Amino acid sequence: MLPLLTEPEKQAHASFIALMQALSYPGRPQRLPAAGQPAFVAIGEALVDLETSYHAPDPELAAAIARTGGRQRPVHEAHYQFYPQLHPAELDSLARAPVGSYLYPDESATLVLGCTLGSGQRLRLSGPGINGAVDVQVGGLPEAFWSLRAETVRYPLGWDIFLVAGDQVLGLPRTTVVEQL
Amino acid sequence: MPSLAQLAQPNQDYSYGFLDAFAKRELRRRMLKAIALPGYQVPYASRELPIARGWGTGGLQVTLSLAGPNDTVKVIDQGADDSVNAANLRRFISRMTGVATTTDTNAASLIQSRHRIPEERLNEGQVLVLQVPDPEPLRGVQPDISRARQMHADADYALMWLGLYEQLVRYGRFVQGASYPVIVHQRYLMSPSPIPRWDTPSLHQAAHLTLLSAGREKRLYAVPPYTDVYPIEFADVYFQVEDQSGRVCMITGAGNKFMDELPQTDGTSLYRISDTGYIEKLVKQQRGEAAHVGETYYDEAGQFYHAGFLKSTQGNSARSADFSPRVGQDAD
Repeated sequence: MLPLLTEPEKQAHASFIALMQALSYPGRPQRLPAAGQPAFVAIGEALVDLETSYHAPDPELAAAIARTGGRQRPVHEAHYQFYPQLHPAELDSLARAPVGSYLYPDESATLVLGCTLGSGQRLRLSGPGINGAVDVQVGGLPEAFWSLRAETVRYPLGWDIFLVAGDQVLGLPRTTVVEQL
Repeated sequence: MPSLAQLAQPNQDYSYGFLDAFAKRELRRRMLKAIALPGYQVPYASRELPIARGWGTGGLQVTLSLAGPNDTVKVIDQGADDSVNAANLRRFISRMTGVATTTDTNAASLIQSRHRIPEERLNEGQVLVLQVPDPEPLRGVQPDISRARQMHADADYALMWLGLYEQLVRYGRFVQGASYPVIVHQRYLMSPSPIPRWDTPSLHQAAHLTLLSAGREKRLYAVPPYTDVYPIEFADVYFQVEDQSGRVCMITGAGNKFMDELPQTDGTSLYRISDTGYIEKLVKQQRGEAAHVGETYYDEAGQFYHAGFLKSTQGNSARSADFSPRVGQDAD
């Protein structure tokens, strides 16, 4: 008999496939199985468990992700970080989020950031997963975020970013070169 | 407050996709990191499966954590859909996830392969999962895995170039056949798994995502779509694929595809295209049945679809002659 695909597993699978395609084709929005705050929880449930650490300044979101069994850790330690609304004041602490080491560049932070797509800062993306270059518009992030990212990414070190707007997710792996237009 | 009966799952023999939720989540996390770090080997906890390690458990774990009920899966072993290993893996994946199965490269959303990339070009959104016996391209020059990791950290691949040079002075050409080492995204040296050299260029600026996973060695890595993948070569002596010219498939009559050689009792050889899914389509087409044969990586004339990626050997034949071994004579 075929094993049952339970509802939580189905959602985790859908979230993961969206994240994987988003990271494989940066600049192309993918659809998550939930929208708004539940989209952040869905990503948390797909990736975080008691083997990983997370950080979420929003207490409600932090409580929802805590149910996965993940360990809440400060910004400079957490491997999965969730910011439905990233405030300019948070950038100083975000700058210390782990970027991995040359021996283990995979031990770096994955940032899940709330934003708006289709309005705001115009960006030109290029790099692996992009055939040539692609233009996107991302709003709702502090202006200094992009310069912070540019300073932080020293390939192979750096953050991998998921930009969430509604039920859409845009992947921004550390390999992506972001040019502000 | 929900009751316990509402919270509990119905009793069943296996989890969906055989692996438990923890295992799948871990694999998924590692896959995302692998995609963000093209060619870097991400360690993971390889789980027990009902097949022995070394029989494709790495690829199988990746496939099981990727597959959903709407997927269509193709499994090949050295190009063949019908080999024992491929058939068993395909049946297991289908029983554990309910995916549809196919032998048609273009119809599959997920392709698990042992040591071949299909002849037909994969498209955007398709995922190729390659089974990997030995993920470490440096093993031949550095058996200590800790030191090899340090070499990757430093991008210190000098020993590989030395090895390549030694091959030239000893044998007059690069002798590495399968798993020809490549540099991915100008950074990491990667073993493309033991695919023939013929398949290595197919990874370069491909439209599809490739995931490579070694179950026994507990490492997985990825080549994202549209990523540079260059075989290591010298500025004046080039990487070359296996020469298939003059070989004609005994079933379809096609040429310039990767062939299996079938030695005959009289000492001659017959050839057959190694990709059985592709043969199937060509045969259908020749019978006049409806079959959509996709674009191939190499055209009828044997030209690779990224013009200029495989450099012509014409210009450097004189140069490579300088490297031919001097048999039975001293240096002048």
